[in-house]
Parts: sequence; structure tokens; C-alpha cells
Amino acid sequence: MGHLFSKKTVSKVTEQDKAILQLKTTRDRIRQYQKRSEANLEKDRTLAKQLLQNGKKDRAKLLLRKKRFVEEQLNKTDATLENIEKMIQDLEFAQIEMKVVDSLKVGNESLKHINEMLSIADVESILDETEEAAEKQREISALLSGGVLTEADESAVEEELDALIADAVKKQLPDAPSAAENPEVVLPDVPEALPETEPEKVEKVRAKVAVEAS
Amino acid sequence: MNEFQWPWQYSFPPFFTLQSNADVRKTQLDAWCALVISWGKSNNISQIDVAETSSLPVFKNPAISRALPANSIAVVLDELAKRGNLEWTDKTKRRGYLLWRSPAEWGQQIYTWAQSTSRLNNVCTLYEITQGDDTADQEFHCLDGDVLLKALRTLEVSGKAELMDFGDNQGVKFL
Repeated sequence: MGHLFSKKTVSKVTEQDKAILQLKTTRDRIRQYQKRSEANLEKDRTLAKQLLQNGKKDRAKLLLRKKRFVEEQLNKTDATLENIEKMIQDLEFAQIEMKVVDSLKVGNESLKHINEMLSIADVESILDETEEAAEKQREISALLSGGVLTEADESAVEEELDALIADAVKKQLPDAPSAAENPEVVLPDVPEALPETEPEKVEKVRAKVAVEAS
Repeated sequence: MNEFQWPWQYSFPPFFTLQSNADVRKTQLDAWCALVISWGKSNNISQIDVAETSSLPVFKNPAISRALPANSIAVVLDELAKRGNLEWTDKTKRRGYLLWRSPAEWGQQIYTWAQSTSRLNNVCTLYEITQGDDTADQEFHCLDGDVLLKALRTLEVSGKAELMDFGDNQGVKFL
């Protein structure tokens, strides 16, 4: 108790990191060895030169033999070093690859999750519902706009407007020639009987009802 | 390395005798601290052994046959410790780290280097940092191992690195 908020530090060092570190430490050792050997070689060379000057040929030869041996050893360590470097590269690259695979996995997982949420049946039913709703919307607007002019009404209004305009234009034009000047034109007679209008009918019915009631 | 430019005080005989006047003494100690720090920086000195101080070139000038007496050296070292430029390795005050740059500053420099060479999320050996060929042009090349560890610990505290130490493998992972 009492450590509820104490941070538990999680080490970010993995086993691979440890392996890499070990390899790199080995690499450093080899480098150190190489540097030491190279310094020794230089020293041996100057020493051999000195020995030759002093006439100690045998000792100089011995020293050169030793130098040769160290040189061969150095060449060998070069190959080892190359191997180690390669191994380090491989390990580091494998770590990156692992991260790539991990992130691909996460991406795939979330894509799957999203796809699960969106089934085809769902989409179909949603589209159907949308269609229904649109239909309903159309019906409602048709009902609401019942009092408003339809297309036929609109065209009638247009016609009337045209007629008015034509009338206005006609008034400005000179008079058309009369029938007397063109006797060959025969105009139809004005009908004598008036067309039966509805108000008359209604009045008749009303009269009938009134008679019966009295 | 450039030849260290000694300040004018170095050739001024009274400089090697601590003055009793408080004000003068303070300026003198300031000068001494500055001298020791810049000398340490120029010569890449990271550790000072008290037993050896009397033979260090910084505390004596044979040209004017003057040297700072041992008790005065102790006063200068104490003053350095008070300012945080010297850190005793233990309580006996026999040895101390001469920190002409604070461990946090070193850590920042190393981290910047790690960043610029894309070493984040990578493991480095301590040898690689102070002796490797990649750091030859860096200021922390040839840095003292203990100071390096101190610097890396400051990085570890701020979560920028993690020290690794198992067997005789010592390294650091930059985060």
C-alpha cells in the first residue's frame, strides 16, 4: 500500500538488445586488440631496423618472424570482425522487421474490426431504410404542397399571361381590316341559346325543395 | 590540441599566495577556479588526485618560481566543489572529478550525437562512445569513463536512455 502511484519502470531493453550489446562489446575488444597489435608491429619494425644496424641479424630475423605472425593474426581478426559486424547488422535489421510485422498485425486487426462493424446485410437494410424514408419524405411534401400550383396550373398561368401580352400588343397595332372590306370571309353566327349554367340548375333544385316543403 | 593560454595572473607572483582581505581573496579564488576549469578543459583532465596536485602544472609556475601551497590548493579545490565543478569520489576527499562541464550537459551532447547519427532505439557500447572512430570529432571523445556514466545516468533519469550492464558488457540504449 502507499505505492499505488509509484511508477513501475518497464525496461525497454530486450533480449535482442542484450545480444547486440554482447556482440558490440566483442567487436570493441577486437578493435582494441587490433589497435594494440598495430602499435606493436610498428614498434617491432623499428626495433628490427635497429638490431640490423647493430649487426644482430638473427635477433632481427626472429623479430620479423614474430611480426609476420602477428600480421597474419590481424588478418584473421579482420575476418572475424566482418562476421560480427554482419551479425550485428542482421540482428538490428531483424528487430526492425519484427516491428514492421507487429504494426502490420495491428493494422490488419483494426481493419478487421471495422469490417465487422460494417456487414453487407447492414448496409442493405440501411439503404432500404433510406429509400423508405425518402419515399415518405416525398409523400409528406406532396401532401403539404397540395394547395400549391401544379405544373398544369403553371402552364395555364403562362398561357393567360401570354394572352394578356398579346392583347396589349394588339391595342398598339393598327385596326385589322373589317368584314365589309373582305366579304368573302364568312364568320360563324353567334349562338342564340345561352349555355346552361350551374347556378340556374342549383336554383331549380332549390325551388323544387321549397315546393315540397310547403 | 591548442597550447593552453595561461592568464596574466599565472605570471603574477602574489597570485600564488592567498590574500587575507576577504574581497581580494574572493576575486582571487574566482580567478583560480576559472584557471583550473579552463586548464582542465584544455587538457581534458577529468580527475584530480589531491596527493598529486602540487605537481600539476596549473598550481605552480617555475618561470617565476612560485607554487600554490598545499593548504591553499585545498581551499581552491573546496571552492570548486562548492561551485559544483568538482565532485569528490568519496568522503576522504582524496580524489575528485573535475567537472568543467556538468554531467547533464555531457548527457545532452551525447544524446544530440545519438540523434544526429540515428542511434535512437539502438544499443551502443561505452567504448564506442568515448573511443570509437565515429566519435573522433566529438568533444566527448576520450571522456573519462566515470564521467560518462554520470552523464548517461542523467539521460536515464529523463528517460532518454537506458544503461545496460551485465557480465562485463556495458552499454547504453538510446530511447
